[in-house]
Amino acid sequence: MDRRDFLKILGVGGAGVGAGIIFGQATKSPGAKLIPYLIPPEDLIPGIGTWYAGVCRECPAGCGTLVKVMEGRAKKIEGNPKHPVNKGRLCAIGQAGLQTLYNPDRIKGPLKRSGERGSGQYTEITWEEALGAISKNLVELGDTKDGQGAYLLTQPLRGSLKGLVTGFMAAYGSSNIVEYSLYDNKALANANRESMGVDAIPYHDIANTNYLLSFGADFSTTWLSPVNLSMGYGEMRQGEGRNARGRLVQVEPRLSATGMSADEWVPAAPGTEGILALSMAYAVIEKGLAKGNDSSAWRSLLSKYRPEAVASVTDVSAEKIYRLAVEFAGNRPSMAIAGDTMASYSGGGACLAAVNVLNHVAGNLGISGGVLANPETAVNGTRPGRLGSLASLIEDASKSKVKALIVYNSNPVFTTPKSIKAKEALGNIPFIASFSSFMDETAVMADIILPSHTAIEDWGDDFPEPGPGIQAAAISQPAVSPVFNTKGVGDIFLAIAKKTGGKTAEKFAWDWYGDYLRDAWKGIYSANKDVAAGSLTFDDFWVKLLANGGWWEAVKDGKKTALSVNLKAAEKLLQNEPCPFDGDPKDFPLYLVLHPHTRLRDGSTANNPWLQEVPDPVTSVVWGSWVEINPATAGRLGIRQGDMAAIESPSGKITLPVYLYEGIRPDTVGIPVGQGHSALGRYAKDRDSNPIDILPAKNDGSTGLSALNSTRVRVSPAGVAGRLAKFEAVGKELGRNIVKTMTPEEFRKTGREAI
Amino acid sequence: MSGITKKIADTLKDFRRPGYYEKFDYRWGMVIDLDKCNGCGACVAACYAENNIPSVGKEECGKARAMNWIRIERYIEGQYPDVKVKFIPIMCQHCSKAPCELGCPVYATYHNQEGLNVQVYNRCVGTFTCATYCPYDVRRFNWFSYKWDKPLDEQLNPDVSVREMGIMEKCSFCIQRIRAAKDKAKDQGRGVADGEVTPACAQSCPTGALTFGDLNDPESRVSRLAKDPRRFRLLEELNTEPAIIYLKKVSDNGTEGHGE
Repeated sequence: MDRRDFLKILGVGGAGVGAGIIFGQATKSPGAKLIPYLIPPEDLIPGIGTWYAGVCRECPAGCGTLVKVMEGRAKKIEGNPKHPVNKGRLCAIGQAGLQTLYNPDRIKGPLKRSGERGSGQYTEITWEEALGAISKNLVELGDTKDGQGAYLLTQPLRGSLKGLVTGFMAAYGSSNIVEYSLYDNKALANANRESMGVDAIPYHDIANTNYLLSFGADFSTTWLSPVNLSMGYGEMRQGEGRNARGRLVQVEPRLSATGMSADEWVPAAPGTEGILALSMAYAVIEKGLAKGNDSSAWRSLLSKYRPEAVASVTDVSAEKIYRLAVEFAGNRPSMAIAGDTMASYSGGGACLAAVNVLNHVAGNLGISGGVLANPETAVNGTRPGRLGSLASLIEDASKSKVKALIVYNSNPVFTTPKSIKAKEALGNIPFIASFSSFMDETAVMADIILPSHTAIEDWGDDFPEPGPGIQAAAISQPAVSPVFNTKGVGDIFLAIAKKTGGKTAEKFAWDWYGDYLRDAWKGIYSANKDVAAGSLTFDDFWVKLLANGGWWEAVKDGKKTALSVNLKAAEKLLQNEPCPFDGDPKDFPLYLVLHPHTRLRDGSTANNPWLQEVPDPVTSVVWGSWVEINPATAGRLGIRQGDMAAIESPSGKITLPVYLYEGIRPDTVGIPVGQGHSALGRYAKDRDSNPIDILPAKNDGSTGLSALNSTRVRVSPAGVAGRLAKFEAVGKELGRNIVKTMTPEEFRKTGREAI
Repeated sequence: MSGITKKIADTLKDFRRPGYYEKFDYRWGMVIDLDKCNGCGACVAACYAENNIPSVGKEECGKARAMNWIRIERYIEGQYPDVKVKFIPIMCQHCSKAPCELGCPVYATYHNQEGLNVQVYNRCVGTFTCATYCPYDVRRFNWFSYKWDKPLDEQLNPDVSVREMGIMEKCSFCIQRIRAAKDKAKDQGRGVADGEVTPACAQSCPTGALTFGDLNDPESRVSRLAKDPRRFRLLEELNTEPAIIYLKKVSDNGTEGHGE
């Protein structure tokens, strides 16, 4: 780039925008590296930060970010105040995205396997060699008319990257794309499709609800869109525009971080929450509080869930079910939500559908303060569902049908039970290429590794799912130049397309992903010109996009989809029996309930020292895993706080340090998912055990995702002292009344209402 | 009292006089709504990122040597199934009558004109006196010079010093952000507007539980919230006069009588 071009680019945009384009260009032209300090870029004033808009990719929520860059280095990530999902807020995991970017254990350049598969021995190669190797493999596969032998395993994708990847595979001649991650919204979207005919996640309007009934939804830390839902929670409790303080009731066998803030905890027996929801729906009708004119039909359908009939199964008394139902329906707008604990049961889809039925009967679908449909079409067309299933990939691989596999940011070896034999299946595949940024348990199986950029270094766009109730499309630009010798994942696909030749090369003639993205957005521009751009030309619109971090627009009234549960469909879905658990209750007396680690989610962020060190809200444990046991149960078993305990299921055995927790049913033990890595890097490796290892090979019935809450276990002292690093010393106030509280009656005396 | 002692006593009296801070432009304070806080810990991570706080690892955390300036304290009361939990974010309370300031032999910690309890790293000789005097357990001592594995050090905030072994540190209300906002306002010939400066913790808080601002400005959001009938201050009976005002959580089994 010469000086004239440089000034031209600066002329196009404001401070932030210009530099974003420069960084994109800098990855191409080596000359650009010489220029910056001789003629400093406009945004580089020593000591003054420049903020670039982007999208957080540490979890699938899709929060908008602003990255503070000083002297070419990223210093801080904050929420983008303009982005409708998080409005300037950002969770712990999002903040720690910086340590993903600057992580010392990132893969620093392309690698080729030199030792045994899985040994982690690799030699460095050039990008040219790496791209050559993978395209040679694909071309050879194409020549033998076996293009269908090429598979792609990726994290769930959205936006233009999904378009590029699916287009690439189609042009190459393979339809085998599998989108997989452990905690996926897919289960909820499936349940919504089957019960309401809407294959999407609706918007949960917590801010305006009076009564939130959460069935195992840990929305403060991990469920769906934690920042967005937490913002709603703050409003619900003490919003300045509200008169009444909303109430939160949490139904779950193990009190989660969100449950800890609840006004009431209903510890129903594990696997019976769906039955409880249906029983409450019946009670709502019985007490004459049902909305809509179909309640008599629902009444006959639900009559077998009479509170008196299900009380013993659910371990919740009939009076309590009636009381909760009356509170729920009598304080509209109210809302019931169903989270990961429910989705993780074997047959969890029925539990999720049951919660939809409860909302339907109480009239909470499609109202403000209830469950609202997101705009049916995102800006780029319909919301795409998930592609492929991991189970069929593993089956194909064990039958040697998979000839080549490309893996991008998906780690089934860590997140599936050993009994599924994902690792063995991968071992069967003759050629595996990984685009992972980290050497995780699946990447270590690869023959060749083409490391991709992290979010802060790459171009991208995003259409958040679940949406924030309005149309939203966000754009992400590189805030810093690449830290290591990596490439954007879009660029890797384009380069392979070029090298593979034939149809793929014709279809994907772009030199770099930034151009592809810009062209993709020309479509969004022309489709939404009136509302999005007004009189702006595309170039001006693009500059505005980069400066704002995206485009969002409230849909005009009337375009919103009405939600309702179809009685006929529900009839087939509803569960009659509690969700099944493996193991004979006599030999294995305790239910095992897994939950996503509040910082590490499915374990993908485990190599982040901040996230390892920020204490878990429930137990305050850092840098390790634990098993939660009720003190009464532990006393019976002769286990004390911090002891190592052996947890044995019909499928395996692990040992973990014990955390005694009053917030868990005496017949249940809880373990977080996320620790117990055998790879991924120095901060993640060899930290206790992975509880997924001891699960049976069961799925949730509708999506093919592993059912995490599907086995019983027995617990015994392991006979060794454990080291549990936790912040909590006593964890009780001991009558000191340090944190003062107010009863609802006292609160009402201050002139406001409390539900 | 003779000469010099009287002079010091008078100075201290002046320093303690109610209304002292009204002579100055700002009196920084924070309101934390415990009914909004859901204990998620975003504030803790934000503070690590902003203030160059080192991660010390499992061994040191196990010895209670984690360097976090803000923590979420969590109390679990009762027995299954009747369990009640309370979260409270605790950081330096920036007390008007701070016990820590009285103890420091080298004046490394002092009260500035804007109500901040300030720690001067260059003066600190690590006697640990302040940490033993502090009733809130918010001071953190550098037992070692902590290292950042390269290239994690690229992230270090140049506006905040990296501390070394033997230094006491604690929450500064993100004084670097206050300085930057004041400089900007001064250049434009105006005061710092309400909401213009936010510490990293309050900036990140998803539920909006933390509000920061100028308590001298009666119109500011923090001043309005500070009048809430749910207000209380942590360990108020110690008369430390914290600059942080908590708002009570509403709980079915409320443990307190009416507000103050």
